[in-house]
Amino acid sequence: MAQSTAQRRLLQEYRALTNNPPEGITAGPVSEDDILHWECLIQGPEDTPFEGGVFPAELKFPKDYPLAPPSMKFLVDLWHPNVYPSGLVCISILHPPGDDPNHYELAAERWSPIQSVEKILISVMSMLAEPNDESPANVEAAKMWRDHRDEYERKVRDSVLKMLGL
Amino acid sequence: MSDDQISLPYFAAILIILGFIVRYLFFNGGGASPAQSPRSPEALLRARETAVERIQQMFPQTDRRTILWDLHRNGMNIQNTTERILAGRLETPPITFQPPAPPPPSTTSASSSAALRKVEKPSQPDLITRYNLTNRITSPTATDETVNIDHKTKAWSSNRDERQASLQKRREDMILAARRKMEAKLAKGKST
Repeated sequence: MAQSTAQRRLLQEYRALTNNPPEGITAGPVSEDDILHWECLIQGPEDTPFEGGVFPAELKFPKDYPLAPPSMKFLVDLWHPNVYPSGLVCISILHPPGDDPNHYELAAERWSPIQSVEKILISVMSMLAEPNDESPANVEAAKMWRDHRDEYERKVRDSVLKMLGL
Repeated sequence: MSDDQISLPYFAAILIILGFIVRYLFFNGGGASPAQSPRSPEALLRARETAVERIQQMFPQTDRRTILWDLHRNGMNIQNTTERILAGRLETPPITFQPPAPPPPSTTSASSSAALRKVEKPSQPDLITRYNLTNRITSPTATDETVNIDHKTKAWSSNRDERQASLQKRREDMILAARRKMEAKLAKGKST
């Protein structure tokens, strides 16, 4: 059976990420039997409360990848304005191509086939460092980030320690 | 001119498709008979729960009962329900509609089922437990070992199992390295 475009493309990206992994990122399919389901680890960016942490997340790719974007979900509790309480990540690069009906995002920021898993993970890393408080996914976290930054940072640091079992 | 743009075969095709849609909807709305689906009630329940969960992930603000009502009416089609939510055409379920309670989890404890009902996740185990790394924390010799192998495992292997093993190893090393670093930082913080 011929491989689908999605499979070929994902294998190629997997290979690139293995040979040339970006700093602080490990990613690959959970099992090659299902290449549409990945698990990745993202390191918390330096000089942020997430520093020192490692955050596992799963990526689920649609069958028509790379035409449509994957969805990304953190597998641990992550207190962040742009991460839903379920762990689902809400950033522009994961949104389907075209213009945002709410005009928050430019078409260029959204998903397009020229993006890649690597770009998504790097975007998520910078999202950890710089939350976007327009259209927050976790309203409570967004409020805390805006109004009580100390409390927000303490909460995040505590969760990082807890996650590493310390 | 513009009247000629829809040709007759095209129009006929649209009619046929519409006919199918109407039949499909009618069929599902009319008889929620178990005979219609060969699956067991348990499988149906599970499918329904996953459907609700998936929709609630996309729209956390939407009521579980409303989602269930819509799913129930359109024959468990997630896509249709999603479209209706997006278009704001979701109907409020009648009072008589009593959705079945979420099924009790088969293996997990009662505490996680309570958490499920609140659409909150139970707190996860830490990464060490998650990736079964307890043994490797206790052996300090692992440090040097991992550094050496690191270079070898980084390259892409043509063997599928080797690739898998190497990925697994890189994951574990990353977590352990983070933990060691954090431990050192904590120790430093205490001593000063």
